[in-house]
Amino acid sequence: MLEEFITGFGMAMRLDTFAFMAAGLFGGMLVGALPGFTTLMAMAILLPISFFLEPIVGIPFLLGVYKGGIFGGSIPAILVSMPGTGAAVATSRDGYKLTQQGKSRKALDMALFSSVFGDTSSDIFTLLMIFPIAFLVMQFGPPELFVVLLLSLVIIAATSGENPVKSLLMMALGLWLSFIGTDPLGGVERFTFGIFDLKSGIPLLPMLIGVFAIPEVAGVVMRSEGVRQLSSLVGERLSFKEFRASFKTICRSTAIGAGIGTIPGLGQVVAAMMGYAAAKNASDHPETFGEGELEGIAAAEAANNAVNGPTMVPLLTLGIPGDNVTAILLGAFVAQGLRPGPQLFEEQGATVFAILIAMVFANILFLGIGYLSIPFFSRLVQIKTSILIPIVIMFAFAGTFVFRSDNFDLLMLVAFGIFGLIARAGKFDVMPMVMGFILGPPMEYAFGQMVAMGNGSTMAFMFEERLPALCVLLATPVIGLFLWKRMQTVTKPK
Amino acid sequence: MFKLTLKKLALSAGLAAMMLPTAALADYPEKPITMVIPFGAGGSHDLNSRVITSIIPTYLEQAMIVRLTPGAGGQKGTQEVANAEADGYTLLFTHNYVDMLQQYVENLPYEPLEDFVPIARVNYAPIGVVVRADSPYETFEDLVAAADKEPGSIQMSHSGNWGALFVPAAQIMKARDISLNLVPYKGGGPALQALLSGDADVTMGFPSTLSSQIEAGEVRVLATAGTERIFDDVPTFAEVGVEGDVGFMHRVLLAPAGTPDDVIATLTSAFEKLVEDKTFSGMMGRLNETIDLLDGPTYQKMREDQAIAYSELVEALTK
Repeated sequence: MLEEFITGFGMAMRLDTFAFMAAGLFGGMLVGALPGFTTLMAMAILLPISFFLEPIVGIPFLLGVYKGGIFGGSIPAILVSMPGTGAAVATSRDGYKLTQQGKSRKALDMALFSSVFGDTSSDIFTLLMIFPIAFLVMQFGPPELFVVLLLSLVIIAATSGENPVKSLLMMALGLWLSFIGTDPLGGVERFTFGIFDLKSGIPLLPMLIGVFAIPEVAGVVMRSEGVRQLSSLVGERLSFKEFRASFKTICRSTAIGAGIGTIPGLGQVVAAMMGYAAAKNASDHPETFGEGELEGIAAAEAANNAVNGPTMVPLLTLGIPGDNVTAILLGAFVAQGLRPGPQLFEEQGATVFAILIAMVFANILFLGIGYLSIPFFSRLVQIKTSILIPIVIMFAFAGTFVFRSDNFDLLMLVAFGIFGLIARAGKFDVMPMVMGFILGPPMEYAFGQMVAMGNGSTMAFMFEERLPALCVLLATPVIGLFLWKRMQTVTKPK
Repeated sequence: MFKLTLKKLALSAGLAAMMLPTAALADYPEKPITMVIPFGAGGSHDLNSRVITSIIPTYLEQAMIVRLTPGAGGQKGTQEVANAEADGYTLLFTHNYVDMLQQYVENLPYEPLEDFVPIARVNYAPIGVVVRADSPYETFEDLVAAADKEPGSIQMSHSGNWGALFVPAAQIMKARDISLNLVPYKGGGPALQALLSGDADVTMGFPSTLSSQIEAGEVRVLATAGTERIFDDVPTFAEVGVEGDVGFMHRVLLAPAGTPDDVIATLTSAFEKLVEDKTFSGMMGRLNETIDLLDGPTYQKMREDQAIAYSELVEALTK
């Protein structure tokens, strides 16, 4: 094993590997920064290119696109409050506040450093612990997924605002919105009123852009901030002191992210939200979270990137792709004559280690590429408001449309934009709604699977075969209540 | 849109004047062709299409662009093509379960048999019944006997209701008159993982995607679709009493009904040349996909048979 590791190390040290990785990282970052374009699309389109490259060049190239794309998504989230995916929602919260305070460069730097730190540590952790993780992955089935998702929603509601009743209401609304469309298990239409466009449910992207970006744009216009003195400043770069102050949070979030990555089907959204909630809960000044707290960005970004390493494990050790990103990577592996699965390490150990080592180096490479590109991106906020606002509106609509070229999505964008404005006026936080909307469907699916597994008698099934999951389920309300009380006592006296 | 209509008007006016209805269409394709896929990114249709569209421009002398339009279990993209103009510039790349089965389980905004004509079946994937290596079911008959003894107690994981794993499972249940507890997972990968982790007792899978598990001796195949054996020591569905077009996922290219014959002929000949292409077969081989081209009329007969078989299946399952 060690011998293969060393051979792999030597294989990864190639100039063309690094050149293609850099190209993938930069390209991925640009695509990820454009709302409406997803890294998944970019990877699917670039996949055939990787067929013609050697395995040790082609696969790191795709991984570069993937990693660059995740960071790219946080750029519009921070600069114009436009999160393109659920994973960037938590980042957008503090990031945009910092931009308004004229600290956009600090915010982007923090996002970059914590992303790279979270990703690198989780890659190294994966490299060392690949077989124990593979064992752990097998312990999670639908019942476990269901209870973890439920617990996550409870934690998000309990820690999100000063008024948990409002948070819960918004979350219930989000869950209800996620019910609209065709029921994922039985295929029954719900709340569609016979409208075909609603059959596939409410699309996520118009909701994200609508409730997060449109109210910000409208706010600037309504306050008629002709010259925004504040954000015309790009601000200084992140200081080492500020990074060190958040270091503990970054480490905590990395651990949370890596843990969540081990559970198949949870993913980056849950990781970012849990990292954020944990940081807020541990902080002695939780009230600054959501008001432009660098630590908030660090918490979310470290956690959502730390998911990446462990999610590769089922692909590498079992040959099973857990999501669409790993499905594309599987295609790339197979096309190169590497068949991920139980025998991969025996037959192609050196190549696999070379790819994993290249993954670690991709992060270091990205640190440089990102650091050099941030000044260029943060210039964006220096554009005059009278020009920037129309550009943002254009991107909001174009990004929504380009996703699947559907006029209905534009209507949804406008509807959610108006809803976002009303919610803001009523001091309702839209974050729990969005989280309910994103996490509702996988939770419902897992619940349906659990019912199917138990052949109807779910409780008996859980008691007999899934005792740990049942315990977590029973503890969930207690954990929620505890967190809520704690939030109250910390925030109240001030 | 408006421009297009104008152009059409001008074109048809010219045509009417010349009384030569086929002259203008001989130019097809004069602009890029859109291939709509009604599924999400990263699936097997996405990957297959990337290979097709990177080679076929050589034979069409025009680009073919993939457009992913997921939603409503494939209905969104399908409807889009059903409503598109039948001019050969908007095509649908789908599979038989969405194409022919869905009409019996949901209210569709289109009529699959009337609104589409097949252009080509690119390839198909035969499915197999799979258990863990340590499973007590040594043969297919063991499984049937156990299911007979305790109906509904054997857990079978599949990739989603009315999907590529669910339908053959249901067809086997109907053919052998047994009952399995079907548990849905989000795709074939998670379904296989459920088998390996012990949550499920049996699942379905395409041998091409299972080869590493089979070689590693982690799973055992009990039967494979069709009449020809894929593995020397594993019986076919026909041998275990499951007859007909069961357990094949056909990847097909459809066009809106009313597409002119010479347009279809152009596309058909492009696909005939495509499957002879060395680069194409090499790339498909690397993806572990077969190539097995059938032309439109041949596949149309299969579609009609599928329609009958699926309607009977749905009726039997939902009564």
